[in-house]
Amino acid sequence: MPRLESRGVPRGPVPARAGIGLRAVHHQAIVTDRPDVGWIEAHTENYFHEGGAAVRALERARSNYPLSLHGVGLGLGSADGVDREHLARVKRAIARFEPALVSEHACWGHSGGEFFNDLLPLPYTEEAVEVLSRQVGEAQDALGTRLLIENVSAYVTFEHSSLHEWEFLAAVAGISGCGLLLDVNNVYVSSKNLGLDARAFIAGLPPDSVAEIHLAGHARNGSVLIDDHGSQVCEEVWQLYRQAIARFGALPTLIEWDTHIPALETLVAESQRADRILGELRGLAA
Amino acid sequence: MASLRELQASFAAALRDPDAACAVLPTENLSIYRNNSSHAFRAALEIGFPVLRRRVGEDYFRQLIHLYRLRFPSRSGDLHWAGRDFSAFLLEHLHGTEYAWLADLTRLEWSCEQSRIASVLPSIGVEVLARFAPEQLEHLVFALQPSLRLQASDFPVFSVWRANQTDNAPPVDQSIGPECGLIRTRADGLEVRPLAPSLFSYLSALAAGAPLGEAITTSGLDQEGLVSALGFVFSENLATAISVESKPPA
Repeated sequence: MPRLESRGVPRGPVPARAGIGLRAVHHQAIVTDRPDVGWIEAHTENYFHEGGAAVRALERARSNYPLSLHGVGLGLGSADGVDREHLARVKRAIARFEPALVSEHACWGHSGGEFFNDLLPLPYTEEAVEVLSRQVGEAQDALGTRLLIENVSAYVTFEHSSLHEWEFLAAVAGISGCGLLLDVNNVYVSSKNLGLDARAFIAGLPPDSVAEIHLAGHARNGSVLIDDHGSQVCEEVWQLYRQAIARFGALPTLIEWDTHIPALETLVAESQRADRILGELRGLAA
Repeated sequence: MASLRELQASFAAALRDPDAACAVLPTENLSIYRNNSSHAFRAALEIGFPVLRRRVGEDYFRQLIHLYRLRFPSRSGDLHWAGRDFSAFLLEHLHGTEYAWLADLTRLEWSCEQSRIASVLPSIGVEVLARFAPEQLEHLVFALQPSLRLQASDFPVFSVWRANQTDNAPPVDQSIGPECGLIRTRADGLEVRPLAPSLFSYLSALAAGAPLGEAITTSGLDQEGLVSALGFVFSENLATAISVESKPPA
């Protein structure tokens, strides 16, 4: 399987700063106010179409910020294979918006022709490593770019799993040549829901594998944490973030906020906290 | 050991049926995924069909979505397409009932969705016609705005759509009868507009690629109507290109 690094695919110019997601309620403000954030992220599937308000907003915002396209619909770990039509749409979006980063998830999403439109967890087995690695490789070849693959939050674990999640992700990155997008909130949510060690997760990933970080808030439903991206980043996740950048270095860091979306100033303030922590790391390194 | 395909098939079965076995722990948390999946599907349809939702009320709307998803589950990782078969489902589900018109209302809302995401191209002016010889006019083929959708119904669905842009609108008198019209996206937003049957027929013929002469014949426009209809195409910025019909060799 060809590794993209060997073909010289360049890393994008997204700075090692905090970025924010481009969401419909902020379209106008991001274009007119041009907040001081390092970059923006857009959900790829929202920009598949030829026209429409969302596409026009992204075109305007893209002229001011480096872009990361973040997909939620490919389900690259699906044993039934990759949806070629969906992949072609991602390719068209990449050609149109020229993102510096393109990411997807370590998950599956369809079986028997039905799509569940959710980020469903994989069993951490050798077979799943092979399937996800092969299909990430196929997607990278089709898209002509290196993908960053994100760990998902989990509410269940498969009895068949034989690997730790970080071992699974490291193996996929090693085989496919993809980078990893470390979602620190997802690590925290999964660790609390499934009784895992979040710090061991971060310590277990290869130092050179992670190229982007996500931070987000979560909700609590009884004893279960729900990854709803609907509140501020909690203190425990900020602490894990410090551990992560100490291990992986200063990296582009996204503040995800997709439900109960606050005013743009609140979102930007949260991104500034990440920028300050990144600045502290640089200060220590200087 | 079960294969990845088997594990995912059993997980999928458990998402459809809470009683289906699935080798995960804790099994009760499968309900989170079940809820996420159904919520995402429902949310996509709530965005796409606000007028239907207003007309039938929240409870019945959710019931329809539940039945629709059983019959037409999502076939794409892009939920925009979740509503593609909703009108066909309602046509089947409501056949023979007094609510059969809801299928056409749903078709109109799906057209709105498709129109909103289509590109808006620069239009051409009527002066372009001067480039063609008089004998070529009946052979002219028009390219129309990609966002243009044309729809006819046995029911007054254009009136229903227009009356229900806010909550709590009174019912529309169904005795108004059949309506036809256009849906298109302008720079300033969506336009949903009923049309006279002859103009609708004429535009439908042009949109299907018929040359101008054939569109005139099909629509039964008289001379005055023709001038008006041709003027409509240009004044409404619907034409994006004109070419001369290429006839197959005799």
